[in-house]
Amino acid sequence: MRRRRRTASKPMLLKMTSLMDILTVLLLFLLKSFVIEGEVVTPASGLNLPESTSETMPKESVVLAIIGNTVSLGDHVVARVVDASREGLLIDSLADALQSTRKRQIVLARRRGEEPQPAQLTIQGDKEMAFQLLQRVMYTCNQAGFDDISLAVLRSS
Amino acid sequence: MARRRRRSYREFIEADLDIMPLMNLFVVLIPMLLLSAVFVELSVLDMKLPSKDDNAEDDDKNVLSLSVTIEKERYVIAGRKLRASSIDRNQEGADDRLFTALAEIREGQSAQPGLTIVSPADARYQDIITVMDIGQEAGLGAVSLAGASTH
Repeated sequence: MRRRRRTASKPMLLKMTSLMDILTVLLLFLLKSFVIEGEVVTPASGLNLPESTSETMPKESVVLAIIGNTVSLGDHVVARVVDASREGLLIDSLADALQSTRKRQIVLARRRGEEPQPAQLTIQGDKEMAFQLLQRVMYTCNQAGFDDISLAVLRSS
Repeated sequence: MARRRRRSYREFIEADLDIMPLMNLFVVLIPMLLLSAVFVELSVLDMKLPSKDDNAEDDDKNVLSLSVTIEKERYVIAGRKLRASSIDRNQEGADDRLFTALAEIREGQSAQPGLTIVSPADARYQDIITVMDIGQEAGLGAVSLAGASTH
């Protein structure tokens, strides 16, 4: 009984050294990958982007993702290409969505009293995607007035 | 005297460092940095498509019209005033040899020639991006894409 009381009265010291080590390493790692302006383009989930040595930073633009046979503009699926080889080059539903997006951009810019930004678009596509689908998407973008196109890639050393 | 000095030294060693302010700082900093961290580094390859109304064809005989055709087994390099050459894609170092060939063509030109990548319908997107990279590294100018005819 006496012995127990003596043990309880001892101050309990939490060993913080290992936790501090982890936090210090984590802090340094996160500081290294810190980007002050945030991400302009976020890679769509389920996509394996192609690798490239390009170091050009993405610009703020309309983002179009080609996942499997679906084409998404922002968060919305705007077109499904069942057979890329059977139809013509133009994807009608995508062209409509792009044109309405462009019109919205112009209206918003005018309301703010600014000049509308140039029609810029970033395409995210899977590295295994066939050229035929990319060609149709790019042709549709061109027809909808988006001439300045960027292809999103993963930066490799 | 000596005894008193020894005791004060022991007290100094046993003093605990108050790390709670540092812990508080870490607890705030780490979630903030986790939210703004970029784990996947994205970049872009820029392309300028011809305008919808631009139908003018490039008939200038002095323009090189350099093209690389991505075939299943080989790369074919062609252009005006150039003898078409091919590089076996199955051999090791095919990309390096394509780079050397394009860099040699670039050296022989005073103006920066553009590059047209001709791809069949089933060409992989990664292969097209690789050729675009090689063209940029070789010092070529604007890249354009074209579909290869199947017949």
